[in-house]
Amino acid sequence: MRIVSERTALAATAVVLALVPLALGGSPHFLRIATLMLIGMAYAVAFNIIFGHTRQLFLCLGALAGASAYVSVVLTMKAGLSPWLTMPLGVALAAALGGAFSYVSVRRGLGVIFVGIVTLVFSMIFHNLVLGLREWTNGETGLETKGLGPAVLAGGLPAYYAILGVLAASALVYHALMRSRAGRAFQAIADDEFAAELAGINVTAYKVLAATVGSAILGVVGVVHAYYGGFISPTIYALGSIDIVALVTLLLGGMGTLLGPVLGGVLFTLLDELVRPLGRLNVMVYGILIIVLVITFRHGFVAMLRKRLKIHLP
Amino acid sequence: MFAILLDGIVQGLQLSLMAVGITLIFGLGGVLNLAHGQIAVVGGIVTALCIGEGLNPVLACAMGVLGSGVLGLLMDRTLLVPAYRLAGEERLLLGLLVTLGLSFVVNGFLDVRYPTVALTLRLPTPSFALGEVTVRTASAVVALIALAAFGLLFAFLKLTLLGKVVRSIMQNEVGAGLCGINPARIRTLIVVLSAMMAGLAGVVQGLFSSLGTELGNEFTSFALIVAVIGGVRSVNGTLVAGILLGIVNAFASFYVGAYLTLLILLVTAAGTILVRPQGLFAFRT
Repeated sequence: MRIVSERTALAATAVVLALVPLALGGSPHFLRIATLMLIGMAYAVAFNIIFGHTRQLFLCLGALAGASAYVSVVLTMKAGLSPWLTMPLGVALAAALGGAFSYVSVRRGLGVIFVGIVTLVFSMIFHNLVLGLREWTNGETGLETKGLGPAVLAGGLPAYYAILGVLAASALVYHALMRSRAGRAFQAIADDEFAAELAGINVTAYKVLAATVGSAILGVVGVVHAYYGGFISPTIYALGSIDIVALVTLLLGGMGTLLGPVLGGVLFTLLDELVRPLGRLNVMVYGILIIVLVITFRHGFVAMLRKRLKIHLP
Repeated sequence: MFAILLDGIVQGLQLSLMAVGITLIFGLGGVLNLAHGQIAVVGGIVTALCIGEGLNPVLACAMGVLGSGVLGLLMDRTLLVPAYRLAGEERLLLGLLVTLGLSFVVNGFLDVRYPTVALTLRLPTPSFALGEVTVRTASAVVALIALAAFGLLFAFLKLTLLGKVVRSIMQNEVGAGLCGINPARIRTLIVVLSAMMAGLAGVVQGLFSSLGTELGNEFTSFALIVAVIGGVRSVNGTLVAGILLGIVNAFASFYVGAYLTLLILLVTAAGTILVRPQGLFAFRT
C-alpha cells in the first residue's frame, strides 16, 4: 500500500484548487459557485475538528459564524471602525462562545445528543436575537455589506484566491493540530473517552481546545462569507444553510480525514448544482439524495478511494 | 390567572403528545427522529384532504392519524433498516441523517403537491363557562384527547405484558433479546404508535389555530427540546417537560409578548438541560 503524506496531499489539493478558475474560463457565475464551495469546505474543516475528532455535535455552526459576521459588520457599519479591527473581535466572540459551550458540556457530562440540543437551542436564540434587534441587524431583510469589507473580498479572482488562502490556513491549522500532542489526545478521546481520562489525558482541556479552535475557524469563515457575499441575513447563517451543509459535506467526504472536507465540498457543490434546475422539486430531490448517499456511502469518499485505489490517503 | 395556567397546560399537553414519540423511538430504537414534526404535519394534511373530499370530520381525523401511522411504518420498515443494523453512536448518527433526509422529502413533497392545503377544525360551540372562567371548547377537547392518549399509553406500558416487554427493551436491548424478545417487531409497533401520536398532535393543532405544510420543522425542534428536557428515555418526564414549557409559554406570552416569549422558552430549555442533564425524571419510564 502506497502512503500519501499529509503535506503532499495538502500541496496537491492547493495546486488543484488554485487552477480551478482557469478551467472555468472566466465565467463570473461559475467563479462565484467555486468561491462559495471553498467557504463550504472551510466550514466543514471546522466541523471536522469539533465533531469528527472529539465527537461534540455542535449544531450552532451557522450561529457561531453568524455571530462573528454580525459583530464585525454592525461595528464596521454603525461605529465606523475599520473591518480589520472588527473582524478579530467577531472571531474572538465565536471562539469564546464555542469554548464556553464545550466547557459547560464537558463539565456537566452531556452526551452527544444533549450537546446537540443545547447548541441547537443556542442557534434558535441567535436567530431570534438577530430578528429582534432590528435597529442594529435590520431583521429578516439583512444588511448590505458591499464596499464595507476589505477590498480583496469584493469579488472576482482576488476574492477566490483570498478565500482559498483562508481554506489553506484552516487546513494547515488542522494538520498542525493533528500532528501535535493534541492530535493523539483527540484520537484517544474519540476511541474511548473514559479510557483516555484514565490514561492521564486532560479530556476537558482537549475538548475545549478542539471546540475553541474549530469555532475560531468558523468565526473567520463566517466573517469572510459576510463580506464576500455582499449581504448578510439570518437565512444565510441558518441551521439549514450552514450546519446541515457542513454535516453532509463532511459525511460525503469522510469524517476525521484531512481531505474529507475538500472532496465532500466538491461532491456537495456538484449535487447542489444538479438539483438546482429542478426548481420547486429541489428540496425533495435533495432529501432523497441525502438518504441514498448516507445509506450507501456512509464511510465517505476518502474511505472509498483508500479501498479502491489501495493508497493511504490522509 | 387561572385561565392562563389552563391555557399553558393545554398547549403543554399538545407539545408532550408530539414529543413522546421522539422519546419512545429513541428509547427503543436508539434513533433520534428528525422527521417527527413532518409526520405530524402529514397527519393534519391527510385530515384536511379527507374533509375536502366531504368525509365526516371525526372520521377524517382518524384517517389523518392512520396516515401518520402508515408513514411511520414505512419509515421503520425501509429507511431505518440500515440504521438498525448498526449499534450505539453509529446508529444514532445514521438514523439522524436518514430522518433528516426524510424530513426534507416530506417538506418538499407537501410544498410542491399541496402548497395551499391547511387544516382548520371548527367546533360548534367556541367556548363554555366553567365556574367563573370561560374555557375555549377547543382547549377542553385538546386536553381530553391528550389526557386520554397519555392514559392509554401509560396503561399499555404499565399494565400489559407487551408494555413490560417494551420497557425491558428500553432498559437493555441485549438483555431483552436474551429473554427471547424480538426487538425488531416491538420496535415497529412502537414507531407506528409514536407516529400516530404525532399525527394526533398535528390534527389537534387544527383545533387551536391552523396547521399548514410549513410547520414541520418548528414542530420537530420543539418536540426535540421537550423530549430532551424530559430526559429522552422517560415518558413521564416528557409529559412533565411539555406541560412545564407550555405553562412558561402561556405566562410569558401574556406578560411580555411573543418575541421575548420564545427567548424565555429557549433559555428555560437550555437552563433545564444544564441543571439536570439526565432529564427531569432520569431512569424512570
